[in-house]
Amino acid sequence: MSEKPVRAIKLNVINEPKDSYTGGKSSLCPGCGHDQISSVIVNAAWENGLEPHRIAKMSGIGCSSKTPAYYLNKSHGFNTVHGRMPSVTTGANVVNKDLTYLGVSGDGDSASIGIGQLIHAIRRNVNMVYVLENNGVYGLTKGQYSATADIGSKKKKGTTNETQPIDLCALAVNLGCSFVARSFSGSKKQLTAIIKAALSHKGFALIDVVSPCVTFNNNDESLRSYGYVKDHQAELHSVGYIPHFSPLEQVEVPAGSYRDITLHDGSTMRLETISDEHDVSDAVAALAALHKAESEQKHVMGLLYFNGDKPSLDEDLDLHHTAITELGQDDLRPSRETLAKVIDSLRN
Amino acid sequence: MDQIVNDFTINIATANGTGSQSANLILLQTLFDMGIPVSGKNLFPSNISGLPTWYIVRLSDAGYQAPGERTHIQVLVNPATWDDDLASLEPGSTVIWNTDSKMEMTREDVISYPVPMTKIARTLNPKLARMIANVVYVGVIAELIGMDHVVLENAISGQFSGKQKAIELNSQAAILGREYAAENFDSCQYQSVAREKVEGGFFIEGNEAVALGSIFGGVQMLAWYPITPSSGIPEAIIDWIPKLRQKEGKATYAIIQAEDELAAAGMVLGAGWAGARGMTATSGPGISLMQEFIGLAYFAEIPTVFWDVNRVGPSTGLPTRTQQSDLAMLYEGSHGDTQHIVFIPGTVEECFEYGWKIFDAAERFQSPVFGFSDLDLGMNRWPCQGFEYPDQDMDRGKVLLTKEQMDAIDNYGRYRDVDGDGIPYRTLPGSGLDPILYRGTGHDEDGTYSENPDVYHKLMGRLKRKIEGARTYLPAPVIRQEEDCDIGIVFYGSIENTIAEIDDMLELATGQMVSTCRVRALPLHSDVMDFVARHKTVIVLEANRDGQLFGIMRKEYPYKLIGHMHSAAFSDGMPPRAKSFVDKILEVFEEVGL
Repeated sequence: MSEKPVRAIKLNVINEPKDSYTGGKSSLCPGCGHDQISSVIVNAAWENGLEPHRIAKMSGIGCSSKTPAYYLNKSHGFNTVHGRMPSVTTGANVVNKDLTYLGVSGDGDSASIGIGQLIHAIRRNVNMVYVLENNGVYGLTKGQYSATADIGSKKKKGTTNETQPIDLCALAVNLGCSFVARSFSGSKKQLTAIIKAALSHKGFALIDVVSPCVTFNNNDESLRSYGYVKDHQAELHSVGYIPHFSPLEQVEVPAGSYRDITLHDGSTMRLETISDEHDVSDAVAALAALHKAESEQKHVMGLLYFNGDKPSLDEDLDLHHTAITELGQDDLRPSRETLAKVIDSLRN
Repeated sequence: MDQIVNDFTINIATANGTGSQSANLILLQTLFDMGIPVSGKNLFPSNISGLPTWYIVRLSDAGYQAPGERTHIQVLVNPATWDDDLASLEPGSTVIWNTDSKMEMTREDVISYPVPMTKIARTLNPKLARMIANVVYVGVIAELIGMDHVVLENAISGQFSGKQKAIELNSQAAILGREYAAENFDSCQYQSVAREKVEGGFFIEGNEAVALGSIFGGVQMLAWYPITPSSGIPEAIIDWIPKLRQKEGKATYAIIQAEDELAAAGMVLGAGWAGARGMTATSGPGISLMQEFIGLAYFAEIPTVFWDVNRVGPSTGLPTRTQQSDLAMLYEGSHGDTQHIVFIPGTVEECFEYGWKIFDAAERFQSPVFGFSDLDLGMNRWPCQGFEYPDQDMDRGKVLLTKEQMDAIDNYGRYRDVDGDGIPYRTLPGSGLDPILYRGTGHDEDGTYSENPDVYHKLMGRLKRKIEGARTYLPAPVIRQEEDCDIGIVFYGSIENTIAEIDDMLELATGQMVSTCRVRALPLHSDVMDFVARHKTVIVLEANRDGQLFGIMRKEYPYKLIGHMHSAAFSDGMPPRAKSFVDKILEVFEEVGL
């Protein structure tokens, strides 16, 4: 037993190989940004040492929502209906608060048909990660604009979009969302750090990931094409993540100024400042950064807003410490004597 | 003038939001406590304050629970409906009216009892005069029909339980009403006489009975969105559950008021997916909004519980009136081929019983299961003798909890029919046992996406077989069989409270005896088909326009039985009255030459 295998497979902190976190073969278009996000999810879950079977992968309908089949094969999942993943996740979350809920959604799902559910999940601070794979376009129905398509954005064929887009990060900040970040599917390092941090956060974590659609929205006129985003992203800070099981002092201290944010499980999110110092506890600063980027036709990347003190929904409900799904008949069905007392009280 | 004892109807016309509901419930409770078979129907508007409200109290030694055909004693307080109410009375009716309403008594062929209700109330408390005036008419009625005063006092104490000032004020108002009637009026034709009361009875609304049943059924997650007439179910759960279901001072349940019915349904699916007993309660408009999720729960096989307290449709309809018009929508809810289990209580006792049983059915069949009530059953107070404690343990269905259980199954797949009953085994998130990605898309026996025609065809066949298997599992119909009887009546739900009167009225009119069969669940139990086969003429009674159960029976039953079946559907939004249905039945009799 003590002999190490000849071909050493890299294991994570709970002795699982990365294979334990992978999924099936993707059926998305080759080069799709969503596939890059899937591989980041595999990495983030593995590096965080999460038990695969304690993760619940949730999604709605659309290209993005197909991706749970492509990662975390050992996790239960639910590919629900269009725009309604937040409510299903909410119901599951409150009866089993001990699982890690990882939701994936798209801009059709989140900015149009399901925007109400997104808003209310944020409002309740459901303890979940919400990865929004945002490409400004409906892919599965072949290229219609979504509600996040930028003004002036032009499809390969057809007209220019003239309708004001919805910025879901700005919306989330205004709603008091406890964790709001924006990233890019091509920025693997930053996105991994943000997803890892979101997985350690207790509360609703919205990660809006610009994820170019190679088939319908990757032309140069699109503000969500690879070329455009590469040239027009403004990083608030570079983001590092130090898991709770790695002592801080062992981590190389980056040059320049930085801020550490302690997350729920004791992990740390390290924000290395690039430009003016961005205070992630300042909602107005977050909105200012978003508006400034919008006016410059840029995408601002990084952790925009964070509040680690807001109680999550399961905490608000004052639930027993045992997950409700673990309770049996003794706890769920009051006794015969109790029924007799209830009836007595109805008689009087 | 002949005295009429314990067999008359009082109609009280007031305005919404004036406190008349308390007064009317005191009247109802007093008669009930005197041991008189009595029923109360609240006909209220979709409004908070100001619109007309009627409360109908029917005393019936025969035990009839439906509102009667005519009003014997009319109480007039509301000027807005004064003329119409007065005009609708038969000559000789008794009218107790508020002389402070600035309205006139315009009929000479009724027995008039003018009472300055507001002036009397003002002597007690000028500020609350409008409210107290309601209890003044209760006092007047009590004196005229001879209600027991001690029992009345007890009912007042019960109504304002713990609020000593309110109890005193209302007691005084009742006494002043009594005194006024005693001094000014001769005795009344209609009399109440106390009967021997069956001990242990109480009044309860169907909604509260469902709520208690749900709590004893182990509800773990309730998600709801307010809608009349179903809100009473979640509200009663919220009221009762902290007293009944805490563990070490903490909740063993989660309750969420959702942003809409779609989200409420989604939360119920989430809870069922995670392995918990989730439920929602709504009415027809909510069920319309939940259709998409209902289809997902059916296709992905998620145990879920939906209570529908039917109000009048279509659309917003008459939100505060009653009907049985959602049945077809529940049975085949959502797009595509579906079929759902529906529990149909007809009494408050069954509301409790199905409240807990419905969770067992949902987990046993891994499917959406509906409870089907209506405004009449759900929001009116019904006499009840008590509830039976569940006679079986919670059935959590085919859930694999251990590796050993999993290994005992050859070639496990989430959607593989191992036992031949169409019900597969499931594993729960977090268990570490064979996970799948649940989906609303086509899937094979392992849960993997598939568009294969054979796989789809086989899956739909299994789902059909699975729900077919529920026919004998579900509550059998209640059948009252007459000997050598050719005529059968099939009915369901709250028509239970009218059937005795329909039966008697029919016998009186035609001399015909009929057998009856009360359906208590869908898909229909085989006993229902046997009943139809046994009777040459079967008439299906239901409170809707189109005969929805009739349609289901006609679709499912063999050709040779089709000729047996006739529909007698009627709905005007009011609680089912015997005469409306008897008229319909007589039409059928004429048609078939009976």
